[in-house]
This record gives sequence, C-alpha cells and structure tokens, in this order.
Amino acid sequence: MGGRWTIYYYHRFPLFLLPNQTPQILNLKSEPLFQIPVACYSDHCLNHNLSHSPIKPKFSSFITDSQIQSEFAHHDQGVARINNGSFGCCPASVITVLQQWQLKYLRQPDHFNYNELQKGILKSRTIIKDLINADHVDEISVVDNATTAVAIVLQHTAWAFAEGIYEKGNAIVMLHYAYGAVKKSIKAYISRAGGDVIEVHFKFPVNSKDEVISAFRKALAKGKANGKRIRLAVIDHITSMPSIVIPVKKLVEICREEGVDQVFVDAAHGIGCTVVDMKEIGADFYTSNLHKWFFCPPSVAFLYCRKWSKCLDLHHPVVSHEYGNGLPIESAWVGTRDYSTYLVVPSALEFINRFENGMQGIMKRNHDAVVEMGKMLAKAWGTNLGCPPEMCATMVMVGLPACLGISSENDSLKLRTHLRERFGVEVPIYYREPEDGEDEPITGYARISHQVYNKVDDYQKFRGAVDQLVVDGFTCTHLLD
Amino acid sequence: MDEEDPRNGDEPIPKKPRVGLALSISGPGPEIREEFAHHQPGIARINNGSFGSCPGSVLAAQRAWQLRFLHQPDEFYFKTLRKGILESRTVIKDLINADHVDEVSLVDNATTAAAIVLQQIGQAFSHGLFCKNDTVVMFHCAFQAIKKSIQAYVVRAGGAVVEIQLPFPLHSRQQIVSEFRKGLERGKANGGKIRLAIIDHITSMPSFVIPVRELVDICREEGVDQVFVDAAHAMGTVPVDVKELGVDFYVSNLHKWFFCPPSVALFYCRKSLISSQIHHPVVTEEYGKGLPMESSWIGTRDYSSQLVVPSALEFVNRFQGGLQGIMKRNHDGVVQMGSMLAESWGTILGSPPHMCGSMIMVGLPSRLCITSEDDASRLRSHLRAYYSVEVPIYYHAPRDGEVGPRDKEGLITGYARISHQVYNTLEDYHKFRDAINQLIEDGKVCKMLLAE
Repeated sequence: MGGRWTIYYYHRFPLFLLPNQTPQILNLKSEPLFQIPVACYSDHCLNHNLSHSPIKPKFSSFITDSQIQSEFAHHDQGVARINNGSFGCCPASVITVLQQWQLKYLRQPDHFNYNELQKGILKSRTIIKDLINADHVDEISVVDNATTAVAIVLQHTAWAFAEGIYEKGNAIVMLHYAYGAVKKSIKAYISRAGGDVIEVHFKFPVNSKDEVISAFRKALAKGKANGKRIRLAVIDHITSMPSIVIPVKKLVEICREEGVDQVFVDAAHGIGCTVVDMKEIGADFYTSNLHKWFFCPPSVAFLYCRKWSKCLDLHHPVVSHEYGNGLPIESAWVGTRDYSTYLVVPSALEFINRFENGMQGIMKRNHDAVVEMGKMLAKAWGTNLGCPPEMCATMVMVGLPACLGISSENDSLKLRTHLRERFGVEVPIYYREPEDGEDEPITGYARISHQVYNKVDDYQKFRGAVDQLVVDGFTCTHLLD
Repeated sequence: MDEEDPRNGDEPIPKKPRVGLALSISGPGPEIREEFAHHQPGIARINNGSFGSCPGSVLAAQRAWQLRFLHQPDEFYFKTLRKGILESRTVIKDLINADHVDEVSLVDNATTAAAIVLQQIGQAFSHGLFCKNDTVVMFHCAFQAIKKSIQAYVVRAGGAVVEIQLPFPLHSRQQIVSEFRKGLERGKANGGKIRLAIIDHITSMPSFVIPVRELVDICREEGVDQVFVDAAHAMGTVPVDVKELGVDFYVSNLHKWFFCPPSVALFYCRKSLISSQIHHPVVTEEYGKGLPMESSWIGTRDYSSQLVVPSALEFVNRFQGGLQGIMKRNHDGVVQMGSMLAESWGTILGSPPHMCGSMIMVGLPSRLCITSEDDASRLRSHLRAYYSVEVPIYYHAPRDGEVGPRDKEGLITGYARISHQVYNTLEDYHKFRDAINQLIEDGKVCKMLLAE
C-alpha cells in the first residue's frame, strides 16, 4: 500500500492549497501532488519531473495569457503587484515540483541525503553554468541568496587582511548606491579587518552610462592618488534603490587597466532581468538570485568564481564536514536543511521555455512594458524617469509628484505602507535627497517592475492612487509613524 | 469549525482539540500513524536521530506560512514575519527557562550556531586578543562539522585545540568527568587560557548523554572563558534548562526531536559582555542589532520552519504528559528495544540506560567483522537497500591499552545507534534484529556486502 497523504488537512484547511488545486486523496507513489489545470501541460508527476531528462511541452503553442494568470493565481488578486524586484515570484507549476521534492525528502531523508540530493544540486548547477556561459560547472556554487554570496566573498577578503596578504589601508571600492546589506557586510568584514572603503558617487537621476563610467574612473584615480592599493571592487549589475543598469563590462575593464586585484559583481537582479554572460563580463566573482526574476521559489542563488582555484579559497561560512572540498561542494551541504529550492532550477527553466523566445523573450517584453508604463506614469504626473530606457532592464524609477512632500527615507516607507493599505498597490519608494538650489525637486521615485503576470491595470491603479493623493492635497507629513 | 484566514494576520491554523494521543511501546495509535503517513512505508525507520521527523499537522501549518508569503511577500515581510519569529522565540524561551527572549535566536541548525560561536573566537585570535598558547577544548567524538569549523575559524587564526578522548563503551558519568578534568589540564599546560570549551549534551557517534551540568561547573572552577554546549539532539530527548546549566551558548536542533520541519534550531546566548560580538555570518541591514534580530533576517529566504515552532508545541501537547511524556516513553522504548537486540545478538549496550535519551548504541555481532568506517558505511547501505532498515552504524577502533567488549566469537567493534520516536513500532526493531541474524546465518561479513 502506498503512503497516503491525508486528505484530512486539505478538507479542514483548504486555504493551504494553491487556488488551482483541489483536495483529493493522493497516492504519493504515482500521482502528482497537486492537479495542474488541463490547459497547462500535465506531465508533472513525481517520476518525470524528478528525472534527468527535461520535459518538452506536448503542444506546439506557447503559454497563453490565461495560463499565465492561472500560474500566478495564488498572488493576492486585490493588489497591484508592481514590485517583482523585491521578492520575485514563483509559478504554481514550480511550487508543485518544490513540494514534491520536499515530500520526497520527508519520506526517507537518509536515502534522499545520501543518494539524491547531490545529484539534484549538480543538475541545477549544470543548467546555471550553461545559462551564464561559464566554462565549467566547478565554477558554480548554489547558495541561498546574493546576501550569502557577498558574505562568502567578503569573508575571504577579510582573511586576506588577517593573514597579511592584504595590508591595512588597502581599499575596497563599492558604489554609493550599493545595497544596504552589502554595505553592512563590507563594514562587518572589511572595515573591521582594517580595509578602507572607497565609494563611487554619481548623481541620480542618471542621464547616460558615461556618467557612471567617469564617476568610477574618478573614484579609482582618487584612491590611487592617496596611495591606496585597491584589492576588490564590488559592482552592482543592477542597483537596487535607485535602480539602474550599470555598464559592468566596461567597469570590469577599467578595473583590469587600473590593477584592481579582484572584481565582484553583485547581480542580485541579474539573471532573468538582463543578459548575464560570464565570459563577456569577465568578473572574478558574480552572484545572482534565482528567486527574483528566474521564477524559483525563495530562495536560491548562484555564486560564480572565474577560476576553479578561486573556489578552493572561498569557503561557506557555515562549515560542515565538506570543508576544504571546494565552495560548490561546501555550499551543497551546510547541515540539515530543506534544499528543495536548490533542486527546482530545471523546473523553472522548463517554465521559462514555455514562453515565446524563452528567457530572451520574457526579458524583452518585460523591458518594453516597464518602459512604456514608466513613461505613461511620468507623463500623467508631469515627472520624469530616473534614467534613460537603455539603462533599465525590467524595473524603472518613476518620479512622483513633488507635492507629495517626500522629505526623508521614513516618508518614503510610510508612503509605501499607505499605498499598500489604502490603495492595494505594492511598490517601493525611493527618497532622493535634493541638491542645493533645486527648484521644486522631485524627491520621491517609485521603482516599478514588470513581470509576466503584470497587467496594464496594475499601473493604472497606481496612477489612480497617486492622482487621488494629489487631488486630496496629501503630503507625507499627514502620515503617522 | 471556524477556520481563521492566515491572510488576516491571525494564527495560521486553529488549535486542535486535545485528544491525549496514546503512546505505548507496542505501537503508535491510528492518529499518530496518520500524522506520519508520509513516511515511506515498509522501512524500519530507526534513525530519528539523524534527520528527525515532522508530523502532517505541522507540515500543513508550514505550508500555510509558505503560501502566505507567496500570496503577498512585501506585506508578509513588513507585517508578519518578525511577529511570527518573535512568537517562536518566546515559546522557546519558556521551554528552556531562559531569562529573556533577547537571549534566544533561531538559526538553521547547530552547524550554523557553531560557526557563529567559532567566528568570534577566531576573530579574537586574529586580532591578538587571545594569545597563541590559548586553547579551545572539545571532545574527540564531537560532530565532524564542529571539528571542521574549529579548523576553519580557530586553527586558521592561530589558536590551538585540545581533544578529549572518552572511553567507549561507557559505564558511568564519572568516566567522562575525570577525562574532562584531565583534558582541561592539558588545555592549560602551555600556560595559556582555555578560551572556549565545546561540550556535547548528547554525542552523535557514539551516542550517549554527557553530564553537562557537572562539566560546566568544572569549567567555571578552572577559569574557562566561554562554554558552548552543542545540544543538537537535546530538545525533545532530555530536559533542557539553560539557567540551571549556567552555559554561555547552547544550541539544539528543533527538527530532530521537536517535530519541526527542516530546519530550525534554538540558539541561546547568555547576556554578557561578549553578546555584542556575536554575529550571524550572513550580514544584512540588521547587523549590530543583536543576534536574534540578525538571524531573523538573513536575506530573502523561506522562514516557514522557524514560524511553526508554536504548532510543533501544540502537537507535542496533544500527547499524554506533553513533552515529558514523549521523552519518557521514547527513552523506555529505546532501552527496551536496545536490550532486546543485544540479547538476541549476544552483544552489549554502549552505555547504561541512565546515560541515554531517546537513542542507544547496541553492539553488533563480532562475526560481521566491522573493521573500518568503510565497513560500517557499507553495512548501513546494505541494510537500507536489502533489508529496508535505516540505522547508522558506528565503528569503534580498539585503542591501545583498551580491553574491548567481546561477544562469544570475538571483539565487538561495531555498534548500531537506534532511535525511538513516537511513530516507531516493535516491528521496526524486529526487522533490524532479523536482518542481522540473517546476515550472520548467511555467513556474511561487511567486506562482502553490496552497498546498493
């Protein structure tokens, strides 16, 4: 008799199902855990999806709009969800596979950990290697998120200071707009170890990538003029807030010209958002989340190390018995954990390949749509975009009307909460400090995202909300803390 | 029955009625069987110690949290997550008798907690706060991940390590206490200070319960700076009272014996002068706000296993006698089963009953010729593949001067670590007994066994 997942829980707690799922008696051995709607390809079952050969869709047409909506039916339908950038999204078909992996583990964890887990992680790593044009799968480690990857690289740099390979006063370069967690990590690991930090400042809004390039050159030159040896450059591929696409290939070239020891690209928003090609970019280390724009569940990311030898120097901070076997192996076992998110990368790729032109097609359509929506909003409010279209990928910064009176980071957070609670709009707001002498400066920018589940209505809802606030004479001072 | 909508920000699942789940040695009742119906049938799963187990009701609660995040992640992050984690931490604080919830963090597993403790020790060595002669003391049988972590953080930074060998099989706590005292002496032999003592509450392989309280008292007498108790197996197998123990750091996995899904561990850090130096290695904006805050956000992740701690406690409280009742019945069960096996095979137990919790080491017949770790591994794989028995095997190399235990035919060098958890049945242990007896009857030795 096969093991039977009890129906007891699904009848009592139907909310625990994805909207397209129905309670049923489930035989773990042969039935899919959740029914996939007939319109989607329905070969999901325990044996197929967890085998090594990818499934091709049985029909020749691409995924339709209604199928897409069905895949994301578990999203809160009352919310204009225009913030894919923060936490990403995961379609129902990938969640189903995730749950299958989780159950497989729970059925017999010893067998799973000894016989299945490493094979599955290797498969995910191999797919990533091909996607990002890396040379060898040994260059790819799977980790929880970009934040973890940053800790790995910076801990390695901190050891170099501690062991005298780097000297006190040697510098790390980062962008002023680097992600907050990265800045803290640099403080925790580098400053504490005696390293100096050089920040690259450029203005926002940005008018062209030359502004970024020349600011970068200037910062390096200044560092060197002060006698600093630059050991590591941490460069965002796409900054978080405010969000713009950085010309990383050019910056990496400059780093090589200027003798920067190592370059680490923080591409939390990379894969699925913009073209990611390791050989093109030429960085030493590159990390990107897969749960933001690559349809994986939270959370999974990869860390690429250009040379295999570098992988031996890097260590996962959570040390297990795999210590010393290379970062890819160390990261694949950090103690008893739920590793199922690491295992669904093949399923996420399958989902992507149901779209016309696969990943390229999705990126292009998202880019075109977010630029169009951004321009629509900027026009409606009489504001501007934060950068030219060629410097954005699937997110764009849109100026908010000055009369909203966003005068601090706190205001931007309060406004975000207000939009969520009063208008059902989810969008992050960035506070931009005005420069001296600016006349009626735009101090607030919304970072809108576009992902496959978004509709024009979402952005219209946002437009309507802001229009309402303006009409009401609203300012941020009205909001309580 | 009213169902509370998790999207309302209330409890994700309604409380179940208390039904006083019956636990008996003869086997779990139908409700318990239903809760663990997702375990693969036909397997004698007598290794709860390695990866633990999670009942269906807690998995359902976990699913609800996961879907809640996917439904509206921003709102979840801003409004729900930290409240939920604080609730879990508060449940833990009460369970372990900590003074303040600020002393309780949730991390992935004991391996992570070890990295946290050792990272600050390593940094103190690197920055010259500790001298080259200062030492870290641990047991020789400490978990392999801990040993590697010491290498990675302490030895690399110039610190020295002293390993304390313990005899096995064990007869009394006194053996452990006296070896520990000798070990501390060695730790101070070169004129250095002992900066950290790592003490297992329940060792992994071979498994037995360590008299932690006595060892901590000795540490204080001998001027050991910090005491870290690695209690990966403790929560749900032995009583845990951190105030009574008087330790600086205490970690226990909750997915092993406390019915949480993989993975979550409680990490207690006594409030002290070094609290501000304890950091999670994955640094975020929460850096500097204290380990509980840092651990509650280490980037986008699935935190659902941390959020179901209250649900796990609810499950535990459905049993007669709650956690105490479960621990006692597991202990009695594993001792009874261990004795049954030792008797059937003509071997011995690895420690007396009062030195075990819910796991016990049972000697394997010498005729199996377990002469290396490889042999032990091979036997384990063979039992899994050919007999559907899941049980870890330990190889104990005879040491110089040690008079090893014997059975009728030779030296006993192999031990099975059997566990007993609420879902186990008598048949599980009979299956294991019969498998070994079959191997003996067939004249098999480890080296000839097929692993798969």
